[in-house]
Amino acid sequence: MFKFFSSSNIYPLIQKLIKFINSIFFLILVIGLTFALVLSPPDYLQGDVVRIMYVHVPSAWIGLACFSVITLLSVLNFIFKIKNFYFVNKSIAPIGLLFTCLAIVTGSLWGQPTWGTWWAWDARLTSMLTLMLFYTFYILTFKLLKKKEVIIKVSSIIAIIGSINLPIIKYSVEWWTTLHQPASIKISGSSTIHSQMMLPLMVMLLVFLLYAALIFLMKYKTEIIRIKKKNIKRN
Amino acid sequence: MIANFITMNGHGLYVWLSFSIVFISCTVVYFKTKKTLKKYEQEFLAEIQTLSLEEKNKTLETSNVAKQILATSSKAN
Repeated sequence: MFKFFSSSNIYPLIQKLIKFINSIFFLILVIGLTFALVLSPPDYLQGDVVRIMYVHVPSAWIGLACFSVITLLSVLNFIFKIKNFYFVNKSIAPIGLLFTCLAIVTGSLWGQPTWGTWWAWDARLTSMLTLMLFYTFYILTFKLLKKKEVIIKVSSIIAIIGSINLPIIKYSVEWWTTLHQPASIKISGSSTIHSQMMLPLMVMLLVFLLYAALIFLMKYKTEIIRIKKKNIKRN
Repeated sequence: MIANFITMNGHGLYVWLSFSIVFISCTVVYFKTKKTLKKYEQEFLAEIQTLSLEEKNKTLETSNVAKQILATSSKAN
């Protein structure tokens, strides 16, 4: 089964996926922005500032999702020693860092008009900042360390320790009294967000997911070429 | 109406700044990633060009990835 993950099998698929995403991305982006900035109604309490949600929430979700994937693949790599997972993680980490930073910055821009402050050391904000630091340490292992075996060990340890922070981020608004509002969208149970806001949020999430997939595929493709180049040199 | 859309009832600065930061960051990352990919593709092709004809054929026979990169670059040219 793991033979499917070999670069020779995946490379043509990556090419096709990049082409496909490039062909539909702009259209979905325009639809998403139209919904988020024009068609979506202002909030009865927050007014138009609620539109920041359409970039803040998908960024935070993708930031969390990327670290979850990194942790899962790190554990699998530890058990099954699939070298491709190492390159997948290396390609995902910068995307996760980008979206975590964007969630923090846009959250700060949302916080100022609604809470009256750019930053507060409350549980949700601090745990997101911790996630950003874990991403930074994780990426630094690839930049600073030389031996691949050492990189795999150190980065996996960082990912596994960092994964403890993921449920803390998720439940921080329930476990502690925070400035941050509780979750409006729930996987189990009913969401408290109106459908007129839910639709733009889902379209913007799709836009962000497509963008993240595009960057991942390009980075992963770069990694494959880098390995193949090294192999030519060895031969 | 357009003025309302721009000012967003006094929240325009925060909304537009948020969207702009996201848009600019994502665009910069996209072009930086694309540039790195192109650079590695070029370096890979240059590496293949340094090989003898026999080595080149052997590489293209054994590596699907090398074939794909070569095919993509010849399409682009």
